[in-house]
Amino acid sequence: MNLTEFNRILRQVFLLPIIALLITAGALYLQVRGANETVRLIQDNDANITQAALVAKLVLDQESGLRGYQATGDERFLTEFRQAESTIQGELDNLATAVQADANQRYNVEDLRNEYQNWHDAFALPIMATVRAGGTANDVTLNLYGKTLMDQVRQDIRSITQHAEAARSIRIEQWHRQVRNTVEALLAIALGMGVLIGLFTRSRLKAVSSAYRTSLEVLSRRAEEIFQSEQRLRTTLVSIGDGVITCDAEGRIQMMNPVACDLTGWTQAEAHNRPLEDVFHIVNESTGKAVETPVAKVKRLRSVVGVAQDTALIRKNGTRILIADSGAPIRDQTEEIIGIVLVFRDITLERRTQETLLSNEKLAVTGRLAATIAHEIHNPLDAVSNLLYLMRNGTSQEEFPQLIDMAESELARVTQISRAMLGLYRESRAPVSVEIKSTLEDVLLLMEHRFLELQVTLHTDIPSPVRVHAFPAELRQVFTNLLANAAEACSPGGNIRVSACYTNAGSPAAGASIDIQDNGPGIPQEILSQLFQPFFTTKGENGTGLGLWVSKGIVNKHGGSINIVSSTDSATHGTAVTVFLPEKPAFNTVETN
Amino acid sequence: MPRNFPLVLCIDDELVGLKVRKMVLERAGYQVLTATDGVSGISVFENEPVDVVVLDYSMPGMHGGEVASRLRQIKPHVPILLLSAYIGLPGEVTSLVDLYMTKTEGAPVLLQKLGRLLQQPVAAP
Repeated sequence: MNLTEFNRILRQVFLLPIIALLITAGALYLQVRGANETVRLIQDNDANITQAALVAKLVLDQESGLRGYQATGDERFLTEFRQAESTIQGELDNLATAVQADANQRYNVEDLRNEYQNWHDAFALPIMATVRAGGTANDVTLNLYGKTLMDQVRQDIRSITQHAEAARSIRIEQWHRQVRNTVEALLAIALGMGVLIGLFTRSRLKAVSSAYRTSLEVLSRRAEEIFQSEQRLRTTLVSIGDGVITCDAEGRIQMMNPVACDLTGWTQAEAHNRPLEDVFHIVNESTGKAVETPVAKVKRLRSVVGVAQDTALIRKNGTRILIADSGAPIRDQTEEIIGIVLVFRDITLERRTQETLLSNEKLAVTGRLAATIAHEIHNPLDAVSNLLYLMRNGTSQEEFPQLIDMAESELARVTQISRAMLGLYRESRAPVSVEIKSTLEDVLLLMEHRFLELQVTLHTDIPSPVRVHAFPAELRQVFTNLLANAAEACSPGGNIRVSACYTNAGSPAAGASIDIQDNGPGIPQEILSQLFQPFFTTKGENGTGLGLWVSKGIVNKHGGSINIVSSTDSATHGTAVTVFLPEKPAFNTVETN
Repeated sequence: MPRNFPLVLCIDDELVGLKVRKMVLERAGYQVLTATDGVSGISVFENEPVDVVVLDYSMPGMHGGEVASRLRQIKPHVPILLLSAYIGLPGEVTSLVDLYMTKTEGAPVLLQKLGRLLQQPVAAP
């Protein structure tokens, strides 16, 4: 039910009783008017009866006056007679007028007038004349005649009166009937209207009530749904394994989930309505400088943002953890930003693990060469030890110089290997100018024995020195990885070609290009894309799967690039890895994704 | 069969080391033949009355284990001493040879072990 319908019902319920009352009033009025009319008629009747009585009195006055005069002959007895005589005609006229509506009564009144006139003229006047003349009027016959005439008059009056009284009774009867009718009608109407109003109102109100109940049910259901939905969302939010913080459009904290409270060290209550920076205090991990918060960034860029690498969160108690986070705007239906939601997690462990992996990989590289290194160190030392033994036991002095020479050259070998090996491991703190030709040659020396072992032939083509800015140990690590891969790929009997040169001289893209080719079986297309992923290896148990991943990371850090081209074609099979290192790179932090 | 001047065959790809070993062995009274890889070593072994073989493990081409198994096929009664710069060789290699030692143990130990090998009655593997 909508508002218009409801108003219509209200109007109906309001108007119906009024209309009913008006109708009732109308009916009542009609009845009352009818009754009043009847009463007026009754009053007319009463007037007629009174008039007739008056006439009767006048006649009686005349008669008694006459009789008195008749008896005494005194003129004083005729006063009343005279009075009555003078007015009776008028009264008779009045009576005539009063009953003129009724034909019967008219005749009666005419009769009366005639009879009276009769008496008056035929009896009363002669008697009076007689008595005045001194005679007597005792004659019985005459008086009887007079009485007869008077009886007529009385008879007339009586019939007029009776007639009027009869009419009166009828009218009164009528009036009673009318009153009864009114009462009945009133009751009937009242009852009828009452029932009608009652039924109508009840049905309308029922409609309203049921509509109201429906509304209440809908509301209640909605409220329940909203509550459930809110509960679900709340539970979900609370269960999220990352920290979640929501802020309003000004960057004041509205909500923090338990993980966020845990990571920042602030409780929800403490943090509420504070600016984000108070609670979410982030700095660059290495420089310690404050970093733009995601809230500021989102407001600026008006889109989803991630945060820079190496961001550390300073917790309430002052300790630091490394975090990765992202922020997103919360928009309302009009696309206005009404808040910002921030999601972050502790990556300290992740980062440390990564770092450990990287440094382990460095060791692993060393480990791969362990056999070679053992060989390259033990053999010369064994020779030196044997030479010393000889010099102690049974060689002559003149042979010493020769033996000492041999010992020295063997020791020089050890030193060279050992230095090359340390170069693999120990790193400089800052990039230095690295000469690529000698670096490659160092690594090739380290790997010489391994190449022999794998029966791989090496060709080098490095015409002249090339210098770049780099971390030397890391470059050695990359070269070692690539050369070992190449050797293992084309063993036995394969060829490896190593070349390096300076490219794009004079341009900002100047640098060293190092090329390592092998004529092994090649890498299938579908594997090529996965090569640089961590833990991907084609060497089964023997590969860590991290070599190329780490190498790529190092090359990227140096602002360079690494590319692999390969063919499995029977005629031209082989793989070529090209590394480009810019001469003067801007160093990025190691990206290992 | 032991002789007064037993003939030792040294097989090793390290030239300097080989030369020095030869000098040590000759000073100790052995006759020494040398070979710098498995193939030539086997050929010498076939053609000469070698009494004992001092064999290096890590060599290009055939490594010491392969060489040892070939030698066993040709003259199984000749004792083989395996020398290695590595520590921890696989069991199937060490079971092929009569004795195994690392290069870091030094000349006296080598001579002592060699002597012991030559005095023992020949044990067929």
